[in-house]
Parts: sequence; structure tokens; C-alpha cells
Amino acid sequence: MVIHPLDLKLLRDVGHMKGQMLAVALIMACGLAMMIMTRSLILSLESTRAAYYERYRFADVFSDLKRAPNSLRERIEEIPGVAAVETRISGRVRMNLPGLDEPADGTILSIPEDHPMRLNQLFLRRGRMPERSASNEVVVSEAFAKEHGFEPGDTIDVIMYGAEETLKIVGIGLSPEYVFEARPGDTLPDAKRFGVFWMNERELGYAFNLDGAFNNVIVDVAPGEDTAPVIDALDRLLEPYGGLVAHDRRDHPSARQLDDEIAVLNGLSVAFPLVFLSIAAFMTSAVLSRLIRLQREQIAQLKAFGYSSRQVGVHYLKFALVIVILGLSIGAVAGFWLGDNIVTLYHKFFQFPSLDFQPNYRAIAVAFVVSCGAALLGVIGAVRQAVKLPPAEAMRPEPPADFKPSAFERLGLQRFFSPSLRMALRNLERKPWQATFTAIGLVLAAGIPIVPGAMRDGVHYLLDFQWDLAQRQDMTVSLIEPGSASAFNDILHMRGVMSAEPFRAVPARLRFGHRSYRTAVTGVPPNTRLNRALDRFGKPLPLPPDGLLLSAKLAEILGAKPGDQIWVEVQEGRRPRVLATVQALITDYAGLQAYMDIDALRHLIREGGTISGAHVAIDPVQREAFMEEVKEAPRVASLGIKDSVRDSFRNTIAESISLIQGLYFTFSVIVAFGVVYNSARIALSERSRDLATLRVIGFSNREVAAVLIGELAMLTLIAIPIGLFVGSALATWIVSAASTETIRLPLILTPRTYATAVLIVVSSALVSFWVVSRRIRNLDLLGVLKARD
Amino acid sequence: MTTLGGTAAEPPPVESAGGGRELLFRARDLRKIYVTGEVEVRALDGVDLDLYEGELVVLLGASGSGKSTLLNNLGGLDVPTSGELTYRGEDLTGADEKMLTRFRRDAVGFVFQFYNLIPSLTARENVALITEIAPNPMAPEDALALVDLTDRMDHFPSQLSGGQQQRVAIARAIAKQPEVLLCDEPTGALDVKTGITVLEAIERVNRELGTLTVIITHNVALAEMADRVIHLSDGKISGIDHNSSRRSARSLEW
Repeated sequence: MVIHPLDLKLLRDVGHMKGQMLAVALIMACGLAMMIMTRSLILSLESTRAAYYERYRFADVFSDLKRAPNSLRERIEEIPGVAAVETRISGRVRMNLPGLDEPADGTILSIPEDHPMRLNQLFLRRGRMPERSASNEVVVSEAFAKEHGFEPGDTIDVIMYGAEETLKIVGIGLSPEYVFEARPGDTLPDAKRFGVFWMNERELGYAFNLDGAFNNVIVDVAPGEDTAPVIDALDRLLEPYGGLVAHDRRDHPSARQLDDEIAVLNGLSVAFPLVFLSIAAFMTSAVLSRLIRLQREQIAQLKAFGYSSRQVGVHYLKFALVIVILGLSIGAVAGFWLGDNIVTLYHKFFQFPSLDFQPNYRAIAVAFVVSCGAALLGVIGAVRQAVKLPPAEAMRPEPPADFKPSAFERLGLQRFFSPSLRMALRNLERKPWQATFTAIGLVLAAGIPIVPGAMRDGVHYLLDFQWDLAQRQDMTVSLIEPGSASAFNDILHMRGVMSAEPFRAVPARLRFGHRSYRTAVTGVPPNTRLNRALDRFGKPLPLPPDGLLLSAKLAEILGAKPGDQIWVEVQEGRRPRVLATVQALITDYAGLQAYMDIDALRHLIREGGTISGAHVAIDPVQREAFMEEVKEAPRVASLGIKDSVRDSFRNTIAESISLIQGLYFTFSVIVAFGVVYNSARIALSERSRDLATLRVIGFSNREVAAVLIGELAMLTLIAIPIGLFVGSALATWIVSAASTETIRLPLILTPRTYATAVLIVVSSALVSFWVVSRRIRNLDLLGVLKARD
Repeated sequence: MTTLGGTAAEPPPVESAGGGRELLFRARDLRKIYVTGEVEVRALDGVDLDLYEGELVVLLGASGSGKSTLLNNLGGLDVPTSGELTYRGEDLTGADEKMLTRFRRDAVGFVFQFYNLIPSLTARENVALITEIAPNPMAPEDALALVDLTDRMDHFPSQLSGGQQQRVAIARAIAKQPEVLLCDEPTGALDVKTGITVLEAIERVNRELGTLTVIITHNVALAEMADRVIHLSDGKISGIDHNSSRRSARSLEW
């Protein structure tokens, strides 16, 4: 194979400027890695989810009710648009597991016996389904089984509906409705203390006193049919049976988590690459413009030999292509590697039969096109200039560049400037675009490290705020069924309880204008001292006798603000609706809350002194005694332990945030170094003749370096404060883009974060300056006497 | 015409050009050999030379004769491979980079074929660049007056003609009041008329400041303005001419 001489020139020129090209390619790679990673993750999640939902027939509409006879199923099947119906029994179990001080709990679901599962089918990892009419055989959810080392053949003691039973595990399974396997109402998975069981329907009916009846229904809506009319019809049908308002996948706790994650990835897949590719585009432009200026004579010669403008243009475009290919290769490898790591992290959150990282090759193609576009945009001007140059003119040395006194000097300040400072100022002013782009790069370099810093401090703040300042209880006791005043009294008098606060939670849909959100409204007493609603300064918000306190994020979802009246549609019992005023917004960072005065809520649902549970503070010395007592208390459905939640948060969310944080940090260092180094190299090469002249006429290496570096140092100094400002805005934006219903990071900007950002830019600058200064020592002093530009 | 003989060990023959003036440069058996790959280029091949205060010397030679190499060695831009080279008795052959920089800064003024002005600085500032670092400079304005550029002092290089730019370069070179002015093809890029104005400026500096001035050129016509004309070929001095009287630059023609 014969390589075209022009391509040989390309290869050798690339060899000479490999440092610079690599710097640009690395910045491009950051953006592309993020793009390829997020796009691949989206593909992995979406395709795995689609296949799983499809293959195991994840239902479209879900509803709970108190009790309805099995015969009602036929009437549900008759609802127009309904393709399949499964009626089920759903119950709560509690377990005392060896090695666990506190009680664990779970959800138990029925397996139909007269037909195969129609919807929300089980994927069996190991073992088998319970045999027909076999007693006490169960399938256990995989995450829970894995956490406790359960295998088919093991037994487990549970309390179902107040009675102790020994269940025999026959299979380990997964279900599309528990991709996100968390306790109802919880925002984080807790496989240690929460599991899901599946058991034969008849037996479960006996255990929960629901023989011949069901309390949960799931519906498959025919393809192309809307879920809304089905939900309406189902609600009407189930209302006499104590039905909670039905909902579709959008409000399904597990499905919603997946939707959330994909939405966050979608945001990141565009915003982040955009920033990095823009920097890369301008850097490509700077590097190539300079190359073309330096090769002015070569271009003239090529054209004199008869190369067409097109051939010359293509030759220089190939430089951009080299950068793109380099950037894309690094970006793709890094993107796949990162994606693979994140998928491993996903296994903690999402339970699929298998979730593998799927490289999104289309994303690579898109990335290639996008980065080519960015690079082309960056170089087209320079290349056009190159090909326009008439040969004869290009052979002559470029006339001295046009300069004029800088603006400062025109203001009459020149006497304060030394000649070298004037050189720097005038250079900046003569090439405002180049200076601007360099400054933008530096601004971003200073700004990007703000993001990981804000994330780190945000996590720390969140841990303190959410679980020390807002939630001062140690535990939260939830009852199987709403209890009376005596139930609260019982909790208050359990061993080790120092204080307790009741709460009453009901499922409700909050509606404001055309927006609505399905959540729970929690009634709490005024002036709580354990579980507190706080404002953004961490001060407790007074609970008004009427109206609501909403999590700020919930208000944002609804588009409501304090003073607005929103509909509270209770979704159980008599399903009362009431207009309530949003009194104030709660600052909280995990989950979504809607608080109401407990008496107002009871009045609304026409109940006496009922409670759903209580927050309790425990005397640490008597913690074990308390646990023992809870384990024996038949009415307790679950025990939420604040420290466990905090740990679980640390293990899951905090870990993924720290991964992202590390990523941003690396990226910021790459950008900082890449931009400064490149600018310094370009300045060096553009002005090597001036600098060598200075050396010849007696300037020392240091003095010459000062002239070169002065300009960049000036830009760096200007860019840093702007960068800190821009970085704060960037952090605000990324933190809010990544804020979900599950978790929201507070925006915490500390002096340490700013100092780190300044340090990164300044040290990248110093290293670049050092590298360039070394090159000054090797300037060709003799060549400059003869050679022209 | 006298051809220099003798060896490095002998005291230099007293040249008439010395005239009791102080000896600045003394070179004996000066050699500069460039080795590129397997090719050995003897750019200087045993040069013996003395240069005195206040002289105007023209170094004549074809391209490749070694004249630039000689100038570079004299100006402290390069060090010889072997031989002896002293400036005011101080050895330049073994000088390190720092010492050479100091030598250039304090003693030598350079004028280049392509002016090498800093485009972002005005004429006055280009000169001031030097006066800031020199121990005993003249005012930039005075230096520019010497080359007749008082009225263009605040112009940028792009606003000056080639000859004017070269005169700024001369002003820049002499503003530090150097003992040596080294000019490498100072008129090489200029037409005759402008070339003459530049030479006039050099001549005036030499006369009024008493600066040892070395002009390298391949233009034979410049020989007549010199005190001495040194002919170089193949890295050796092939001959030295003494002009009994210098012609003024204004009267030169080529």
C-alpha cells in the first residue's frame, strides 16, 4: 500500500503536535464518554425493561381494595379495553430473622391455582413454583434471598395476620412489579429488612381471612387502548369493596423509579456532552488555525504544484478527523467502561432477571457525527482561509500583524504598564475571539470542579439534615391496620420508648390544575419534636390547623406554590375530596411529603383517634428490649430504623454520587489542563519568533517566559472568578436536573469547593507554564535570524 | 591586502586598523563543526581574527562561506567547537547559557535581515524593551533620533516601511549603548534607496558612538564603507582589505 505523500505529511505533522491533539481529543472524549455511557445505559435499561415487562406480562393498571368476591373478576374483564385480569391477595408479613435485631417485613402475594399466572409473572431463578395445594410453600424474591443466603429447601418463620407460620422456600424468583424492590412508601431498597413472597392463593386466602375473595387486582389493557377509562371504570366497580383509586404504570412505585432514572440519564446525555464538545470545537479551531498559519508557505507550494483547493482543504480537515477519531476511541472505551461499572451499581437498585451493559453502537455513530460536526464547525473558517490564499501571496512572509494601543492605554493608563504587559494586553485585544474562547475554556475549567464539590458537600449536608435535623426519631413503627388511641398508648408504653408521636397516613392524589401526583397525605400533631417539617434554614415549620405542608419538590411537580389551593383526593374508604391551601413548603431531600394536621385529616376521613403508626425515640440502652417487644407485637407491620435507612442511603445513592463526583473531578482536571496547555502551546508557536528575538537581544529564559505567560496568566486571573460563578450556576443546574422524587441533593457551595476549583486551574496553569517554559529554552535562536514566519 | 598568517600561540600581528584602540574580540584557530548524521560541515575552519573598538568591519562572503556562523559566535548565540575566542580577554568558548545571555544583554546589539521587531509594540516600545534591561541605556527617544525616526516613534511595525522598521531595529540594537553592533544582512530585504538610509544610520552610530560595527553581507558594494573588509570562503578567512578612507554610505551604489 502506498500512502499518499499528503497523508504522510499528515501523519508526521500529527506526530509533531501530538500533545496538543491529545489534549483536544481528551476533552472531546470526556463529552463523548458521558454521551456514550448515558445512551448505553438508557438502551440497557429500556431494552431490558421492555423485554422483561413484555415477557413476564407486567400489568398496566393496579388497584388495592379491602375485599371483593372472586366473582367480581368477570365484571372487571368486561370493562372495555381490558385484555387480562388477575385478582390477587396481597398481605404483609413480619419476620424475626437470625442475625437481625430488628424485625424484617415483607409483602406476600398470591399465586393462582386454577390457572397459570396471567400477569406479573414470576421469573424463577432457582427452584420451582409451589406445588398445587401444597401448604406453606413460597417463592422468595431474589434480592432478599441473596442478602440472607436463602436457598430452596430453607425454611423461614413469619407472622402473617397475627399468626406464626413456618414457610418453606421452594424457589427464588423475580417479578416485573418489583424491579425496584422497596417497602411500600419507601424511597430506597432495603433487601436486608424487606422481601417479597409468593404463595398459593387458597392458603393465603385462609391465612388473611380472604378465602374466595381478593384485595388486589392487576389489569392488562389491550394494546392501543388508553388506561384512563379503564381506571375510571375499575374505580367505580371497586368503590363498594373498599377500593383504593387505581393507577397505571406511571404511578407504580417500581416502574416510576425506573422512569426517574432514565429521565435523569436523558438529561445528562445531552447537556454534558454539549458543554465538552463546544470546548473541543473551539480548541480544534485554535489548533488548526495556528497550524495553517504556520504552514502558509507549504500551502502555497502545494497549490503552486497544482493541488486543488479542495485537496488542500481536505488535507487540513483530516487533522480534525484525526482528533475526532482519537477522541471517539478514548470516549467509547471510557464510556463503555464507565457504563459497565454503573450497571454493576444498578444491580443494587434494580432487580432484573439479567441486566447487562449493552453498548449503544448507534450512540457511537451519533457521537461520531456530532463530534465531526463540532470539529468541522471549529475548523471550517481556518481551512477556508487556507485554500483561499493565492500561491504567490502565500510565499511572501506575512506582513507584521496589525496592532494598536489597548483600551487601557487609550484611557491614558499606559505609564503603568511595562512593555511586556503591553504586549500581552495588545495581543489579547487584537485577537478577541481567540482570547474569549481561551477564557471560556478556562471559565469552564474553573467551573466544572464546583459540581463534584457541591455534590460531595450536598451529600454530607443531606445526611445531617435529613436524618439528624428533620428526623430526630430513632424508629418508625407502622401498623398493619390503622389503630386507635389505645394502639398509640401501647407503643408509647413499650420498653425503651422515651417519646412517641403518632401519624396517620392515607393514600391520596393531589391535584392542582391539570397536574396530579399520587402519594400519601400524612396527618401529624402540631409542634412535633421527632419527625419535623423544616424550612430551608432548618427551622421547624409550624403546622397550621388547616391546609397542607408540601415538600418543595412535590409542589414543583404540581406547579403549586404557597397560598394555592389544591385538591386532596383521598383514595381509600369513602374517598373524600377536599380543597386545601398549601401553607408552606418543606425543605427535605428524600421522598415526597404532604403533611396535614392529624385531627384535620381524621375529620376529613371521618375517623376518631386513628393512627397508622408512630415515630419513636428510643433509650439506646434499652434498644434490644424494645426490639424484642416489637417482634412480639402482632399489630406492627414494619419497623423503620433511621440508622438503617441512612446506611442504605450511604451504600446506594451516596456511592453512585461519589462515582459521578469522581467522574466530574477527572473531567475538570482534563479540561483545565487541556485548555491551558493548548493555549500556552499555541501562544508559544505563534510567537516563537518574537520570543527568540527577545532571547537573542539579551532577555533571559525567565524574562521571555514571563512575556509569554503574562498573557495567559492574565486570562486565567480573569477567568477564575467568572468560572466560579458559572460553576455555581452549573452545579445548581446539574443538581436540579438530577433531583428526583427519591432523592434531591441540596446545593451546598463551600469555600473548600471554590478553593479546590481555583487550585485545579492554577496548578494546571502552572504545570502548563512549566512545560512551555522548558520549550522556551529550546527555542531556535539562530533560525530566527534568517527564517521568516 | 594582507593575508593573516601565524598560529594561535603567537601574539597577534598588530593591524593598522587597531591604531592604539582597544582590542575587543580575539579569535584564534576558531572552528565550528556541525555534524548531521554522517555529514560533517566545517562552517568555520580555523579563523584567526582581531576586532577593535570603533571599527566598522564588513564581512563579505557567499552564502555558506561561514559568515553567519562567525557572527553568531561573536554575538554569543553559539559557541565554537574548538579554538580560542575572547571578548575583552574573557573566554567565550566555554561560556554557559547564563553568561552568554548576560554578554548579549550588556555588550551586543543585533540587527537582523528581517528586522524582528515585536509587532505588538510601537517603535518607541520596541526600543524601550531593551533599555529596560540594559545597565546603561540611552533614552529610547534619543536612539530613535539617531536613526531619524523621531516622528514615527509611536507607530506600530505594521505602520512602518521596511526601511523604517530596520532603522527601529538599529535603534533597538544601539539603545543599550553596546560596544558591539552586529548586523546580519541588514539591507538584504530592502531596495537600494531604503538600504542606503539604513546604512547611513549604521554609519552614524559607528561614528558618533564609537561602536565596533560588524556587517555581514554578500553585497560587495558595502565593502567601501568599511574600515576593514574581511573575505570569508569555506569557513576560512581568504583575505582582509584595508580601506585607507571609508566611503560614505550615501555615495554607495548597487
